[in-house]
Amino acid sequence: MFNLLSLIFRYFFILIIYAFIFGIIRMIYLDIKAISEVSVSNTPYLKLINRKDSLPFKIKEVYTLDDTITMGRNKDNDIVIVDPYVSNHHAKIILDENFYFLEDFDSANGTYLNGDKLMDAIKLRNGDRIKLGQVEFLFVSND
Amino acid sequence: MDLESKRIVRVLIVLSTMLVGLVLYLSYFEVFKADQIESHSFNRRQWLNEELVIRGSIIDRNGKILAYSEKVEDIQSRIYKYGSLYSHIIGYSHKEYGKSGIEASYNKLLIDDESNPIRVITDKITGTRDKGNNVILTIDHELQIMAEKKLKGNKGAIVLMNPMNGEIYAMVSKPDFDPTTLKENWEDIVEDLESPLLNRATMGLYAPGSIFKIITATAVLQAGNINEIYECEGSLNINGFVLNNFRNTVHGEIDLEEALVESCNVAFAQMGLQLGKNNLRMAAEKYMFNKIIPFDLVTKRSLFPSTTAMTNPELGATAIGQGKLLTTPLNMALVASAIANDGLMMKPIIVKEVISPEGKSIKSNNPHTIGKVCEAEEAGIIKDMMIEVVKSGTGTNAAIKNTVVAGKTGTAQNDMGKEHAWFIGFAPAENPKVAVAVILENAGTTGGKSAAPIARDLLNAGLKKFE
Amino acid sequence: MFKKLFSYRVPQNLMVIMNSMAVLLLYLYKDRLDRFVLISGILLIFIIYMSNFILLKVSKGDHYIFLIISMLVSIGIIMIYRINPIYGFRQIIWFSLGILNFFLFYFLVRSIKHWNKWLTFYVVLSLVLFLSTLIFGVRIKGATNWIRIYGYSFQPAEIIKVLFVFFLASYFTGFRKIKPVIFHGIVYAYLGFLFLQRDLGTAMLFYFVFTTISYIYEENRKLILYNLSGAFIMAGLSYLLVNHVQIRVQTWINPWIYIDSKGYQITQSLFAIASGGFFGTGIGLGHPEYIPEVHTDFIFSAICEEMGIFGGIAVIMLFLIFVYRGFKIALQQNNKFFRIIAIGITAMFGFQAFIILGGVMKVIPLTGVTLPFVSYGGSSLVSSFAALGILQVASEELEWEQEENHGFRIQKDS
Repeated sequence: MFNLLSLIFRYFFILIIYAFIFGIIRMIYLDIKAISEVSVSNTPYLKLINRKDSLPFKIKEVYTLDDTITMGRNKDNDIVIVDPYVSNHHAKIILDENFYFLEDFDSANGTYLNGDKLMDAIKLRNGDRIKLGQVEFLFVSND
Repeated sequence: MDLESKRIVRVLIVLSTMLVGLVLYLSYFEVFKADQIESHSFNRRQWLNEELVIRGSIIDRNGKILAYSEKVEDIQSRIYKYGSLYSHIIGYSHKEYGKSGIEASYNKLLIDDESNPIRVITDKITGTRDKGNNVILTIDHELQIMAEKKLKGNKGAIVLMNPMNGEIYAMVSKPDFDPTTLKENWEDIVEDLESPLLNRATMGLYAPGSIFKIITATAVLQAGNINEIYECEGSLNINGFVLNNFRNTVHGEIDLEEALVESCNVAFAQMGLQLGKNNLRMAAEKYMFNKIIPFDLVTKRSLFPSTTAMTNPELGATAIGQGKLLTTPLNMALVASAIANDGLMMKPIIVKEVISPEGKSIKSNNPHTIGKVCEAEEAGIIKDMMIEVVKSGTGTNAAIKNTVVAGKTGTAQNDMGKEHAWFIGFAPAENPKVAVAVILENAGTTGGKSAAPIARDLLNAGLKKFE
Repeated sequence: MFKKLFSYRVPQNLMVIMNSMAVLLLYLYKDRLDRFVLISGILLIFIIYMSNFILLKVSKGDHYIFLIISMLVSIGIIMIYRINPIYGFRQIIWFSLGILNFFLFYFLVRSIKHWNKWLTFYVVLSLVLFLSTLIFGVRIKGATNWIRIYGYSFQPAEIIKVLFVFFLASYFTGFRKIKPVIFHGIVYAYLGFLFLQRDLGTAMLFYFVFTTISYIYEENRKLILYNLSGAFIMAGLSYLLVNHVQIRVQTWINPWIYIDSKGYQITQSLFAIASGGFFGTGIGLGHPEYIPEVHTDFIFSAICEEMGIFGGIAVIMLFLIFVYRGFKIALQQNNKFFRIIAIGITAMFGFQAFIILGGVMKVIPLTGVTLPFVSYGGSSLVSSFAALGILQVASEELEWEQEENHGFRIQKDS
C-alpha cells in the first residue's frame, strides 16, 4: 500500500515543486513587467533634477503621478522629502479634468514654479520645473 | 547602468551559470552514466534483491552441489561446501567485499534479477520472487579435486578441458583462499604478496617459453616451408645478441619436426627471422593473442608485442616464446585444443546451463567456434610432431601406457624469478577427448620434468572418465 | 494589491499540499502509523503559514526569498524525517528557532543604525571565535570546527560567515580606518584559521565571497589579479604539501579505486543519484541510509534518489531563483552598505550550495559544507535564517542619512 502510494506520489511531488517554481517565476516576471510598464506608460511624472547623491536625504529619481499627490516632510505625504527646508505639508499636485495643478500649502519657504514663487494653483505643463526646499523636479507629461 | 551594477550583474551571471552547469551535468549523468554506475558491485541496492531471494546454487556437471544458500530467520548465508577448491571459479559473494568469479558474472541469474520496469513495479507491490536460478558448471568435481591436489605446494594454474566442445573440466589456480572465511582473513588475503585472489588460469600473464613454438611451427607450415632444414650449432648470434639452446645442445642439421621434438631454440629463432614479424604476429593472433577470449569469467588478453619497432633479436626471442610475449594458461589450453580439434578453436565454456528452481532451462551455453588457427592437414602435421615430443622428445614424462599422448613442454625464462615450467597437450591423439595446460610458476625446473607428469595424471584421469 | 496577495497564496498553498502529501506518506511509512508524524506535519504547516503571514504584514521588502527558502526547508524536512524521524522532528524545531531568529535579526538590524562603523568589532569577534575553536574545538567528522557547550555542538564558522560579510561591507563603504595591507592580512588570516581547522569547504567559500565583493568594489583592479593568482598558487601548494588535500583530490579524480576506504562516501552518493532515475524511486523506497552523513552533507543525494533527477534539478533551480532575487535586491538597494551585505549574503548561500552540490555529484572535490536550509543541522539552519533576516532588511528601502559621504556637498544645491 505504502509502496504504491509512494510510487504514485513521486510524480505529484515533482509536479507540485515545479508548479511552485513556475509560480514564483511568474510572480517575479509580473512584478518586473509592472515596474517597466510604469516607466513606459503615458502618465505624467516628476523627475528629479538634482543629483540624487548630492541630497542628504532619501529621495527617488522618478515619482509617478496617479491622482492627487501631496508633498512634504511628514510621513503621511505621498512624496516624502525629509529636507529641513521643506515643511511638513508643503505642496500638492491635483488632477482635475486631465490636467495637473500645483498648489502650495502655505509652506514656510514656499514652492517655486520655473523660478517664480507660487501664489495660487497653477496648471502644470510638460517641462515645468518645480522647486521645494533643496529639491527640484521636472514635470514630464505627454499631453 | 553604472559600473557597479554592471559588475553585480556579471557576478550574477557567473553564479547562475555555475548552477545551471550543475543542472546540465545531472542530466548528462542520468542519461549516460547512471546505468553503468548503478550496476557496480559495491552498490548495495543490488544486494537488496538478494536479501529477498534465496540465491541459486552452483552445481558441477554431475549434479554435485558446490555452493548454495540457506536462509535462517531472514538472514541468508552462502555455504561453499568445498572451501578453497572453487575459490577462483565460483568466487565469492559478500556484502562488504563485493563479488568475484561466477558469483559475479552470473549474479543476475543467481538472484533472478530482471530490470524489466514493469516487473520492478509489480514486484514492489506484490513482493514476489523467492528463489534464484541454479548454475550448472561443466566442471567435474573429481577432476577438480585431483587437479588441486597436483598443484598443491606450488604456484601456478591448471586448465583441463574438452577440445571438441570447449567445456572446462577443471580449473585450478594456486595460491588460493577460502571464501568461507573471507571476512576474517581479508587483510591477510589482500596483503598477501602472492595474490591468492588472482585467478592465474584466466588472469595470470606468463612468458610461454617453448610451448609457443607450436604457434611458430603453425606459421612455418602456413608459409609452406615444411621441408626446410635448419643448421643448429647450439647457439645463434642475432645482431650481437646471443641465443642459446638449453644447455647449449648442438643439434646439427634438423628439420621442423626434430626442432619441435627437441625444442631447439636456434632452429626456431631462425624460423622466426625467416617468417618475419608480421607473419609471426598474424599466426599468434589466430591463436587469440591480443584478442579477448569470450568466457564466463574475466580473462586477460595474451600479448604479442607490437611489431612496429620489433628488432631481429626480439623477433628471434619471440619465436621461441620469450621476449615480451605474455599469455594465460587458459589461452594455452585453447592452443592445444585447437590442434586437437583439427585447427578449430572452440569457445571455452565453464557454465553449461542455468536452470530455474522448477527445472526449466533459462540459459544454455552451446559449443561455438571462435577461430580457425590453421587448416586440418596442418593441424594434423603438428599433432604428429607433438606425439613425437611425448614419445621421444622433451615430453616423455607425459606418456601414458596404451594411449597416444600429444604435447609440448616449455621452460620459460622470465624476469620475476626462476623459470616457469609449462606443459600443454591432449589425448588420445587420434581422437582427442581431453586437453590440458599446466604451469608451475617460477618452478625452476623444466616443463618436461615437473609439469609433464602432472599433465599425464590429469589426462589419464580425464580419459577414464570420458572414454 | 489583492492580486498580489492572491498569487502569493498559490505557491504557499502548493507548498502546504506537498507537505500534507508527505505527511500522509510518512504516516503510512513502514506501517508505523506514527501519530507523531501528523503532529509534526501540522506543526510544520502552521509555522509556514504563520511566518509568511507575519512577514507580509511586517516587511515591505522582498517576499519571494522567504517563500523559496520555506520550500527548500520543507523538502529538507521531508527527506530528513523519512531518513530518521527524530532528526526530522528536531529539524522542525530548528526551523522554528530559525524563524524566530529570522525576525529577531530582522528587527535588530533594521532598528540599529551605523552598522558600517563597527568594523573593528566584527574582526575582533571573528578572531575570538576562531581562537576559541582552535583552543576548545572539538573534532567532528575530520574538521575541528565545532564547539560544544552543555552537550550541544555548534559551528562558530557559521557566525563568522555573517561577520565576514559585515566586515567586507564596512571596509568597502569607505570606513577606511585600515590600510589595504591590513585588510588583506585579516582576510588571509581568516582563511588560514579555516585551513588549520581543516574546514576547506568554508575556506573556499570565504574566498569566493571575498573575490566577488572585491571584484565589484575594489578600485585597485590589479589587487584582484594578485589575489586570484595568490589563490591559485596557494591551492597548488596545498595540493603538493598538504596530505589531506591530496587525499581529497585523488578521491575526487577516481574514487572507484578507493571504493572501500576514502572513496566510500562519494561512490555511495553516486550510486544513490544513479539509482533514482528521473522521477525517483519514490519516498521511502530508496536507500539513502547507505550513504554516511546522508542527513547532512549528502541530503541532496537522497533527494536525487527518492525524488529523482527532476527533484534534484528543482532544488538547484530554487537556489538559482534565490540567487537571482538576492542580487536583484542588491541592485535595487540605495544604501551602499546594505547593497554589499545583500551581495555578500546571497553569494554566501549561492556559492555554498554550489560547493556542496558539486561535491556530492563529483563535479568538484568533496568538502564538508552543508546544503543551506536543506541539510540537517541546528547551527547551520539557525544562523542561515539570521542571515536571511538581514537580507530581508536589505530588501527594503532604507531611510538612513548618508552624511558620511555627503558632508561637504549639502551647500551646493540650496
